[in-house]
Amino acid sequence: MDNLIDQLKKQIIEVLNLEDMTVSDIDTDAPLFGEGLGLDSIDALELIVLLEREYGIKLTNPAEGKAIFKSVSSIADYVSKNRKK
Amino acid sequence: MNIISEIKISPESVFLNGTLISSKGITELYREYVGNYPKFFKMDSLCKLGFIAAELLLRDFSIEEKEDCAIVLFNESSSLITDRNYENTIIDPENYFPSPALFVYTLANIVTGEIAIRHKIFGETSFYVTDEYDESYMESIVRNTVLTSSPSMILYGWVDYKTENDYLASFKLMKN
Amino acid sequence: MIVKIADNILSPLGLTTDENFNSILAGESKLAVHQNVFGLPKAFCGSLFDRERLSKILAESITDSADLSFLEQLCVYSALQALENTGINPANPDVIFVISTTKGNVEYLSEDRMDKRSYLAYSANRISRYFANPNKPVVVSNACISGVCAQIAAVRELLSGRYRYAIVIGCDVLSKFIVSGFQSFKALSADACKPYDKNRSGLNLGEAAGTIILERTENPISEAWQYAGSSIHNDANHISGPSRTGEGSYRVLIDLLKSVDRSELAFINAHGTATAYNDEMESIAIHRAELDETPVNGLKGFYGHTLGAAGIIETILSMKAVDNSVVLPTRGYEVQGTTYTLKLSNQKKETVKKAFIKILSGFGGSNAGIAYRKGGIE
Repeated sequence: MDNLIDQLKKQIIEVLNLEDMTVSDIDTDAPLFGEGLGLDSIDALELIVLLEREYGIKLTNPAEGKAIFKSVSSIADYVSKNRKK
Repeated sequence: MNIISEIKISPESVFLNGTLISSKGITELYREYVGNYPKFFKMDSLCKLGFIAAELLLRDFSIEEKEDCAIVLFNESSSLITDRNYENTIIDPENYFPSPALFVYTLANIVTGEIAIRHKIFGETSFYVTDEYDESYMESIVRNTVLTSSPSMILYGWVDYKTENDYLASFKLMKN
Repeated sequence: MIVKIADNILSPLGLTTDENFNSILAGESKLAVHQNVFGLPKAFCGSLFDRERLSKILAESITDSADLSFLEQLCVYSALQALENTGINPANPDVIFVISTTKGNVEYLSEDRMDKRSYLAYSANRISRYFANPNKPVVVSNACISGVCAQIAAVRELLSGRYRYAIVIGCDVLSKFIVSGFQSFKALSADACKPYDKNRSGLNLGEAAGTIILERTENPISEAWQYAGSSIHNDANHISGPSRTGEGSYRVLIDLLKSVDRSELAFINAHGTATAYNDEMESIAIHRAELDETPVNGLKGFYGHTLGAAGIIETILSMKAVDNSVVLPTRGYEVQGTTYTLKLSNQKKETVKKAFIKILSGFGGSNAGIAYRKGGIE
């Protein structure tokens, strides 16, 4: 699980262009949107692409993303249960 | 309206009001003059270029002064640099993952929006595409802007990003 | 004074403004689910030209049509139709072409990343050169608001005194590029869109071309459509999400109300893409501008969002509606679904009023509006 969490953080930093951030800067349980990293609606859409490309998970309804993308730990939890690759 | 300041940014040099102030690249300029706007790194190259050029002309004005500013920009390549990057995400059926973060930048006028967001500008934002850099053509369109609107200031000029080694932002700021 | 002297709408619903207007009155639409088009792995609902049938018509009307892209042919055909019987010689130096498109010939990028036809000005020059026009065309690229911005750019060129006629053409065609992008934005409705409706679930994309010819004149013919006012404002909020306060659109409406009175308005023809956020934003802007009592309609339920053409064809249809004393229905609307209640209907209504406002909003936080008024009988 810790491996997956670190891997997700790396991928999030890369696809969302979080320049100047490192894996250790992202708090696993902190909210990703709003206050936390200040991510927005386009970032959420890009995370949907990330899940599909890297883990074979298809989210068709962006509303589902809300709960999944709460924090890195909630993403890791969802990925570990639903990954196809 | 009179031109009160101008900026020219190319890969070789940055001229502010005719004086060479830097010969740094766009990201280095961001680090030197801004530094605290992480959204910069999400922008495409065209927006980064326009953003930093606007920053150097607008940073000394108050929010109130900028509120009604018009932003009127021109180029030749529209958003083609990002269009090609986006195309790369959809061309291979085996690796088809269209990127929303790239797609949103496949419109040249997004650069006017990025500048408006940064400076809280609610005025007109317009983008025109033309086949060559032509000062008199740009000036005539900009002069015509005031025929149907009355902005407090106009930020206008050329912003074209072709490659890492071939880009130009040449903006002027006009004020009553 | 700036007046409209001719127009054309070329869409999947018809080749002329009249064919389009009559189709709308009959409640028709070509919105349909398309599988396996443009090499897209996923189906989408949109309004597409019958390219095979249309190509024949274009080839018959356009000299050396094979030299032009499909998009350029549509623009030329639409302008030719609009020019018919106007007596305007488009080769004269007092005529300026203004082109509105969001993505032009972007589909050529899939074969050649450097294809010069993907440059918007290159394409616009080919259109104006077809008509042997000597002036550099004005190419407006302001995303979804381009069609209104192009009319505003034309009005300015005419007011400057440099030109007498402006031929304003708006066109976009769909491609893998455009459809995949909107799919990645999860912005598309699976079936025909439902503007302002409680159950709206996104937009449809559509293809169309439209032309409006404007003239600067001191002696307009009686009952001519006159330009009344225009405005462009940014939300300064987000590059893709509409403002939660409708700020830019509100400012546009307030500007327009300086040139037309609320009591004159037959209707506001709004953007009405049928995305949750756009329609909500417009309801807020219209409410803030105290236009709740003015009828509102949206035409995306007939055509989908035709991008660079939308502002042109929706303006023409609004003029045509007032000419026929009707407020066009908002196809797809059933149940009130925005915070503020707008005066919407899915049935056509009668009107005796002679002015309207056309508004648009789009990517880049941009908002634009234009107001027209029909002159009296002299």
